[in-house]
Amino acid sequence: MSDNKQVVADIDHSMYDFKDVENERDFYRLQEGLTEETVLKVSEEKNDPEWMRDFRLKCLKLYNDIKIPDWGPSIEGLDMDKISSYVRHKSDMKGSWEEVPEDIKNTFERLGIPQAERESLAGVGAQYDSELVYHNVKDEVAAQGVIYTDLESALRSEYADMIKEHFMKLVPPTDHKFAALHGAVWSGGSFVYVPKGVKVEIPLQSYFRLNAAGAGQFEHTLIIVDEGADLHFIEGCSAPKYNVANLHAGCVELFVGKNARLRYSTIENWSKNMYNLNTKRAIVEENGRMEWVSGSFGSHTSYLYPMTILKGDNSQMEFTGITFAGKGQNLDTGAKVVHQGKHTSSVISTKSISKDGGIGTYRSSVVIQKSAKKAKASVSCDSLMLDSISRADTIPGMDIRTNDADVGHEAKIGRISDEAVFYLMSRGISEEDAKAMIVSGFANPVSKELPLEYAVEMNNLIKLEMSGNM
Amino acid sequence: MNKDINMKVNVLPVLTYNFLHVNDSTLNAGDITIDSLSTPVESVISDEIEVKRDVTFEEAGEIFRANKEKILKTTGVPGIPNGDMSYRDEKQALRTGMGIDIDELMIATNVKAVVYTVPENVKTDKPIVIRYDLANGQGSLSSQVVHARKNSEVTVIMEYSSEKDATGFHGVSTRLLAEEGARITLVKVQLLGNGFVHFDDIGGACFEKGQIDLVSLELGAKKSWTGCYTNLVEKESVFNSNMGYLCRDDHSLDINYVSDHRGKKTEALMQFKGVLMDNASKTFRGTIDFKNGSSGSVGDEQEDALLLSEDVVNKTMPVILCQEEDVDGRHGATIGQLGEDILFYMQTRGIDEEEAKRIIIKARLESVARMIPDPEIMQKVLYYIQGIV
Repeated sequence: MSDNKQVVADIDHSMYDFKDVENERDFYRLQEGLTEETVLKVSEEKNDPEWMRDFRLKCLKLYNDIKIPDWGPSIEGLDMDKISSYVRHKSDMKGSWEEVPEDIKNTFERLGIPQAERESLAGVGAQYDSELVYHNVKDEVAAQGVIYTDLESALRSEYADMIKEHFMKLVPPTDHKFAALHGAVWSGGSFVYVPKGVKVEIPLQSYFRLNAAGAGQFEHTLIIVDEGADLHFIEGCSAPKYNVANLHAGCVELFVGKNARLRYSTIENWSKNMYNLNTKRAIVEENGRMEWVSGSFGSHTSYLYPMTILKGDNSQMEFTGITFAGKGQNLDTGAKVVHQGKHTSSVISTKSISKDGGIGTYRSSVVIQKSAKKAKASVSCDSLMLDSISRADTIPGMDIRTNDADVGHEAKIGRISDEAVFYLMSRGISEEDAKAMIVSGFANPVSKELPLEYAVEMNNLIKLEMSGNM
Repeated sequence: MNKDINMKVNVLPVLTYNFLHVNDSTLNAGDITIDSLSTPVESVISDEIEVKRDVTFEEAGEIFRANKEKILKTTGVPGIPNGDMSYRDEKQALRTGMGIDIDELMIATNVKAVVYTVPENVKTDKPIVIRYDLANGQGSLSSQVVHARKNSEVTVIMEYSSEKDATGFHGVSTRLLAEEGARITLVKVQLLGNGFVHFDDIGGACFEKGQIDLVSLELGAKKSWTGCYTNLVEKESVFNSNMGYLCRDDHSLDINYVSDHRGKKTEALMQFKGVLMDNASKTFRGTIDFKNGSSGSVGDEQEDALLLSEDVVNKTMPVILCQEEDVDGRHGATIGQLGEDILFYMQTRGIDEEEAKRIIIKARLESVARMIPDPEIMQKVLYYIQGIV
C-alpha cells in the first residue's frame, strides 16, 4: 500500500464568512468593557423588570469574584475590556420576513434560513447580534398552544411568572464565571412552551448570527416541554471571522416534563476568532427523555458540555456529538450527566476529529447518586487523528455512589485503519474514495440523527474532500 | 512531622472539573508518623547483583538525573494538553505516580535508599524478596532503586504485612530503570492491618526494548495511596501492569497510573481488577499519554470494579492523551455489581448469593495473586484473601 497520505480538507467556512458592515446610523453598540454602568445600560435597553435588573447586578458581582477554570483551554486572548456586551439593530423585532431590515435579511437569506422555514420548520427565530430580529411560528403550531417567542416579550406576557420561576434556576450564576457573566448581560434568545400532551411534529429553529466585530452574544434559551409533550428544537450559530476576539456565552435551560421528550440539535459553526463559552443544561422528570445532537465545528476556543440531570425515575438521556478541531482551534467539548432517579439511563456517544494542529478534547462526567438505583450509563468516545501535529485528548470522569448501577465506558483513539482501506480497495474502490468513505462513516452516527436538510449541511460543513496526494 | 503541611499526591496529568474531586489527593501530614526507617528482611541476593545500602534518596536518584535528558527526550513537537500539570513534577529525578511531594518527604526525613544494580547480560533466576513485617504503632519509610543494565533480568518482590488490626504508617518509594533489552518484574503485595496508613510510589523508565512488568495487590490498610509513572523512553519498550485490590470497611484507596509513550512502537497494558465493599471508597486515575514521536505505539487500560455495597464510592478517571497519529489507544471500564446472569448460573448450581459473591471476589483477586512468581508469598496472599472474604 502506498505511504502517500490523503489530504483531508479543513472545514470550509467561506459560506458563513461574509461580513455586513454595521454603521452607527442603523446599529446601537454599547461601549466595550464590563462595569456596573454597562450592565445597568443593558438592563435599561431591555426595559427589565426590577427583579431582573437586581439579578444582573448580583451576577456581575459573582462574575468578578469567580475565578477562571484551571482545567480548560486558555482564554488569555479574551479581554472583556475589548468586548461590547450589547449590539442591536435600531429596528424592532419583526413577525413578517418582508419587514426585516434589508441588510439583515440578506445575511439570513444567504444562510438559507427563510428557505428552511418554508420547507421544514414549524417556527423560526433569528437573532442578529444581541437581539432577535425575526420570530415566527406556523399558525397550526400556535393553534396547539405552543408558545415560541423571544424571551424579552415573554417576560412581559402572561408567562412572566413562569419565566421568573425557571430563569437561571437550572444554571445558577454561581455555577461558573461565564454563567455569571451571562446572567449579568444576557440579551435575546427564545422562550418555548409546549403544553401538556402536545406533540410538535416538525422542528422549531433558532439561528444565532453574531455579525459585529469585538462583540459578545449572550442569548438565553428557555424551553419547557410539559407532561407528555414532544419537541425537536434546532439551534444554529455562525459568525464572520474578524481579527479581534468575539465571545459567545449563551445559556440554554431545558425542562423536560413527565413522559415528555425533547430533542435539542445544534450545528455550531462560529468563526475562528470566537470564544464559545456556552452552558446548556436539561432536567428530566419521570419517564421523560432528553436527546442531544451536537456538532461543533467552529470557534477558536470552546468550552461546551451539555449537562442532563435525570431527576425522575425511568428518565433517559442520549447524547450524540461530533467535534472537528482544525487549524488554530482548541475545542474542549463533551457532556455531563447526573443520575438521581431510579432506573435512569444515559448513553453518551461522541466522535472527535483532529487535524492541522487542532486540539480536540473530549471531557465528560457521569455521576450516579446513591438514590439512582438500577441506573445504567454507557459512554463511548472515539477520536480520529488525521496527522501528528494535532491533539486528541480524552478526559472522562465517573463518580459512582451506589452498587446497584451498571456503568460501562470505552474509548478509542487512532487513525484511519490501513486494513479498512485495504478491504474497501479490494472491492474496487480507489484509495482516495475509501479514505473519504471511512471518514464520512466515522461522522455518520451524528449526521443520521439530524433531519435530512441539516445532515446535508453538516456534510457540506465537514467537506471532507479527499484531494490527491500530499 | 509538621502536622500543618499536607501533601498533594497522585495529581492527574491533566486537570478536569473540580466538582469531581479527582484532580489530586491529599496525604494528610497528621497521618504520617515516622519513628524509624524500615528494616526489612531480605532474601539471599545473588552475588551477581550489586547492592549499595545507606544511600541518600538524592544520591540514589543520580542514575535518573544522569539520564534525564534521554528519559524526557521527545523526537517530535512537544504539545501541551488542556489543564496540563506536567510542570509540577519536573524537578523530580524521575517522575513518579505520586509525585514530587513524596520525594520531598523522603529527602526531609533523610531516608536511606538501597540501590540494586544488575550488571549487563545477567539474568537472575532467584527473585529479590524484601519483606516488611511491621509492628503495631510503627511508622516508617523506605526507598529502593532497581537498575537493570543492558539485557539483564531481575525480579523484585516486596511484601508489606502486619497484624490484622495493627495501626501504623508505612511509605515506600521504588524507582526503576530498565536499560536496553533489560526486564524488571516488580511485585508489590500490601497486606497491612486495618489501622495502617500506607503509600507506594513507583517511577520507571525503559530504554530500547526495555520492559517493566508490575504486579500489585492492595488488600489491606485503612488508607492507601499508590502511584506509578512509567516512561517508555525508546522504541519497543514495554510496560505491563496488573493490579488487584480489595477495599472494605471504611478503607480508602487512591490510584494514579501513567504510561508516558515517547519511543516508537512502545506498548502499555494496564489492567485493574478490584472489589469495593462496606463503606469503602476508591479513586482510580489511569492515563495513557502518547507523545509526539511515539508512532506505532499501543496503549490499553482496562478497569473492572465490582461494587458490593450500596455505601461504596467509586471514582474512575481513564484518560488518553494523544499527539501522534499512528497509535492505537483504548480504555474500557466496567463498573457495577455482580451480574444477574452470573448469580443465576451459580444459583442453578446450588450456590447462594453470598457464597457466589465470595467465589467471584476470590476469583478476581486470585487471578492477580497467581502472577506472583514466589510460591510462598503467593500462598500467603491466597490465605489472606481466603481469610477476609
